Amino acid sequence: MRLRPWLNSLLLLFLTTTVCAYVYKDYDENLLLKTLPNNAVLASFRFVTNGTYTNHHSLFPRSLAQILSHSNTRELHLKFTMGRWDAESWGAQPFNGQTAGGTGVELWAWVEAVDGPTADKRWTTLTNALSGLFCASLNFIDGTRTIRPVMSFTPDGDHEDMDRLHLLHGSLPREPVCTENLTPFLKLLPCKGKVGISSLLDGHKLFDAQWQSMSIDVRPVCTAPDSCVLQLTQTVDMVLDVERSLQRRDYPVPRPRPREELNCDPNKPYGADGSPCFPRSNIADLPWSISEVFGRPLHSYCPLASEPAEHVCLDVPQERPIYITRDSIEVRHPDGRRCYTLPPAGDFDIILPQQSPALPITPFPEPPLYASRSFTGHGQEHGGVKAVIKNPHPTRPVEFVYLESLPWFMKPYLHTLKTTIYPAPPATGDADLESPVTALYYRPAIDRSRGTHLEASLLLPANSTLILTYDFEKAILRYTEYPPDANRGFDIAPAVITVLKHSPSPQHTLPYTISGAPIQQGHGRVAIRTTSLLLSLPTPDFSMPYNVIILTSTVMALAFGSVFNLLVRRFVGADEVAGKKKFGTVVEKIREKVRRLKGKRKTE
Amino acid sequence: MATPDAPPTPATHPSADDVPIDKSTPDAEPPPELPENARARRYVILSFWLVVVLLGLPLWWKTTSIYRAPLPLRDMQSWADGRACRAEFPLLVEVEAPELSDPEHLIKSAQHALDDANDFSAHHLRLRLASPKLTDSTGNNAEENVAATLKLLPGPARSSHSYQLSNVSREIELFYSPSYNPSSSASSASLSLFVANTLQEIFAEEQQMISHLLSTSTPAPSSASGDSTSGSSKVNHAEIARKMSRILRYSPTYHLTFSLFTGSGTPTSWEIEDAIDEYLQPLLGALSGISNFTIDSQIQFYASPSDNVVPEWQPDGEPAEGEPQRGKWVLKKQDLSSFINSAEWPLASITSYPTINFIIYVPADELTPLSISGSATNAFLLPQWGGVKILNLPVEKIDGERKTHLTREDLKSSLDTFAGQLMSLLGAPAHPSSLPIRLDSLTRQRSAELLTSASSTLGSLYRLTLALPSISIPTSVSTAVSSTLESLQNACQELKQGRVGGEGGALAEGRNAAAQAERAFFEKSMVGQVYFPEEHKVAVYLPLMGPVGVPLVMSAVKELANFIKGWKASRVAKA
Repeated sequence: MRLRPWLNSLLLLFLTTTVCAYVYKDYDENLLLKTLPNNAVLASFRFVTNGTYTNHHSLFPRSLAQILSHSNTRELHLKFTMGRWDAESWGAQPFNGQTAGGTGVELWAWVEAVDGPTADKRWTTLTNALSGLFCASLNFIDGTRTIRPVMSFTPDGDHEDMDRLHLLHGSLPREPVCTENLTPFLKLLPCKGKVGISSLLDGHKLFDAQWQSMSIDVRPVCTAPDSCVLQLTQTVDMVLDVERSLQRRDYPVPRPRPREELNCDPNKPYGADGSPCFPRSNIADLPWSISEVFGRPLHSYCPLASEPAEHVCLDVPQERPIYITRDSIEVRHPDGRRCYTLPPAGDFDIILPQQSPALPITPFPEPPLYASRSFTGHGQEHGGVKAVIKNPHPTRPVEFVYLESLPWFMKPYLHTLKTTIYPAPPATGDADLESPVTALYYRPAIDRSRGTHLEASLLLPANSTLILTYDFEKAILRYTEYPPDANRGFDIAPAVITVLKHSPSPQHTLPYTISGAPIQQGHGRVAIRTTSLLLSLPTPDFSMPYNVIILTSTVMALAFGSVFNLLVRRFVGADEVAGKKKFGTVVEKIREKVRRLKGKRKTE
Repeated sequence: MATPDAPPTPATHPSADDVPIDKSTPDAEPPPELPENARARRYVILSFWLVVVLLGLPLWWKTTSIYRAPLPLRDMQSWADGRACRAEFPLLVEVEAPELSDPEHLIKSAQHALDDANDFSAHHLRLRLASPKLTDSTGNNAEENVAATLKLLPGPARSSHSYQLSNVSREIELFYSPSYNPSSSASSASLSLFVANTLQEIFAEEQQMISHLLSTSTPAPSSASGDSTSGSSKVNHAEIARKMSRILRYSPTYHLTFSLFTGSGTPTSWEIEDAIDEYLQPLLGALSGISNFTIDSQIQFYASPSDNVVPEWQPDGEPAEGEPQRGKWVLKKQDLSSFINSAEWPLASITSYPTINFIIYVPADELTPLSISGSATNAFLLPQWGGVKILNLPVEKIDGERKTHLTREDLKSSLDTFAGQLMSLLGAPAHPSSLPIRLDSLTRQRSAELLTSASSTLGSLYRLTLALPSISIPTSVSTAVSSTLESLQNACQELKQGRVGGEGGALAEGRNAAAQAERAFFEKSMVGQVYFPEEHKVAVYLPLMGPVGVPLVMSAVKELANFIKGWKASRVAKA
């Protein structure tokens, strides 16, 4: 890694940027608001900071730089994601899905090391340190949750010595992402969420979103072979439901709406009075403003961010009127975006009034693939996974990589891996040619030390659906290996689908001018993630060990007792005892007592 | 065992028919058993017991016992009580008196005066006349380290005795009055007394610190602690305790973090790298014999102190006509303890060694100028943590804006303050002015601290092993303990010979001792067993031991009773 004095890079930045007539600084921030169908709003925050690997930091957070240098990490991607991206109605994810991760926490990094074991050690250092920094259970990413993907990921940064870099990937699908992760995220920003667009980030609204993703990407960017900067990109993408946000404002505690406020579809036969209501969608574009959906207005602007100060952009239908705060200037871009400069002091707000009837909203373009994944089968011993991947494009086949990282206690049978394409392609007679699988990488699990890593490169013809299935066996865990609340089940990390060589449509490249170098995350690849799965394993009765101890002890004691008694006790024949019979003495006694009682009565 | 062909019971009573039915009557008894049967039964019971005692118990003992490596408990205890080693700090002072005719006599009487005044025997000064050959070289004897060199020079005319201490060397220049007459006993006594007093004054603080260290850390009262309270040197225990409480635990490496916290978005850059190189690096270089330092820096914008810190506005007199009110914001003393906003300021480091934080806080415009009441430097020290300096930036004349870039010169005063704070955080005495002497003092003091901390860790381990008999002690603990003891022994020897710093000196040995003692105490595998409660054992053993043990014990008791009965009967019969 090249460690450049940081003045050098600054100077070069100046040289490169004077051409563009912009005064670039080492920090920039942007916010894009885009209306999506069904009164949803995508808010996409992006913060970019440049820094160096030296020990003296100004804008770049020292805490993160220290972790990176301590663990010899050259490139880092950390994603916190919650909710589900509704690709059917919203279209493809922004930024080709590169800023979002799978449900929970996903982390991958390129670590510099001479060999694998050293890389593992540094990876452990990295996960532990990040765990402390972001208040997340990242330290639970151990050997069983770590894989080394082969085809799915490529580094975004400029690296010199790729042979020494090891890619490690880990995910925690069960991790609940919450405010305690947002606070350290904000602390990494130069303006700390106090001024600028980061002042809108509030845990209550962010984690109330239908889908939200926080990502931290660090990569080295070299504008010339000799001048490299360490670029930190922090993004927060969230899809807010305007209706829900407004309702929250009126009723902080959720409660059902009165019937007269519901928008029932009268065309439905069951929409009549007293019967269930079928909600009518898109009757109007609801009115909203920044202060309503985020709970507060945008406060001032961050003076550390680069010029020009068009920090907030809106992508709404051209016909929709927008009201803004007085001191702000609107700039209309040819692609339909409307961007605003932030006032030097005071609050900034954007108000969109109600629009009825609703204007047609163009969502994001259609994604290259639709994917879903589910469990099949029944019982506590075996199960199956079925992934349905659909290529909606009428003419273009799609080449992609399907990556699964499974825990060791879910053991797939590779021979059951089957791919079926609908509609079936014309038969050529050659099974190898017909199979959509072009390459397969499989690393089987080792109990308690390594998880399964399955990576398949697939080619899906245009306008067809691929069904990928495989069966697996559920392992029985040891008594102490069950987590608390074992009956809830075990989360299985989402599958990562990477579409290679996807030519992005123009709307995919969102308007961001960042100092330093242009953003080219993922090299034109598109990442799509399925939802996580919940696997239920056979769970034992947790009082079992004591039961076993008591049961075996009882059996042993019984055996011992009878043998011991046989050996020690003296047995005497009944006829050997002179006098009264031994047996029946109790009966005799009772009889005697009864006789006495009778005698007493008679005397009375 | 009774056999069917056993002879019928001889009827001892005449008849059973005419007596009422009674269980206690002997005629309900079974026939007496044969002696060989009784013997066989006895053997059976005995063999069961033999199996239990000879096989079962040892097996149980072997499988459930916890490995406890032998520890030199007695040595550990004696170190913990401070009986094993009486730490001594002999300081050798070389005296150069080129112009005095009889320096030996003077030294002798000065030594007497020193010994009389010294109440802390572990720390004593020894005077020696410098042999001319050695003083030509570096002045440092190869065998013994010289704590200071006293140079006796004639003073200017009509002056009394005086001394001067150089800032950069261990040389004390003592100017004696020209009226000094070696032959006059009064004059000689006055000079020797002055020499003694001078030396005592120079080393007073170190002596107090070391005596405090040794007296507070060892539970057994040493001779020093009792005397020093009434000693002639102005010992202020509260003052020493306050100083000691600031000092960071010793570590071979410290991490220094310089942070610029600004209340707003400016200043945006600072020349901290150059400033550290110029103003702080010389000191860090001098300290490298004791500890090493790693450095980093950061700038944090929009940082505000904790919410409960509210500075007070103090106007400066009456406001002038047409001009804004002049005045300053004042932080009270009680605000300082909560000034650091640890919830929001990113100050944590991931280094394995301790971090010392130095913070320059530039308040926001609306809080400028901000000052600390009663502080000339506008800085304060947080014990065992670091230092904070509040830097108010003047408004620049050209555009009325405040500075956005802090130059090296702007940072000079702050770094000077931090240098002083670093010295007191590390525990260097504030006096005398000579840096080498202060650093020597610090080395001795750190050795004493390491020695006592290693000893007290040994003591804790000793008490722990005695208090928790159920924890295991792996071999690594025992080796670490023996290594600690060895290092402690060496350190004690080195101290007695006055070799403190350098390779194999008392400091290095003490460092090793402390590290080994910590490693022994914090051995991971020792702790695991502690959390297995004793009650669980009952729950595990009882289901088996109960049903098995009861018949065994009962049969043994019964058989014993029978045996005793038979034995008594035979004795009666014999009699």
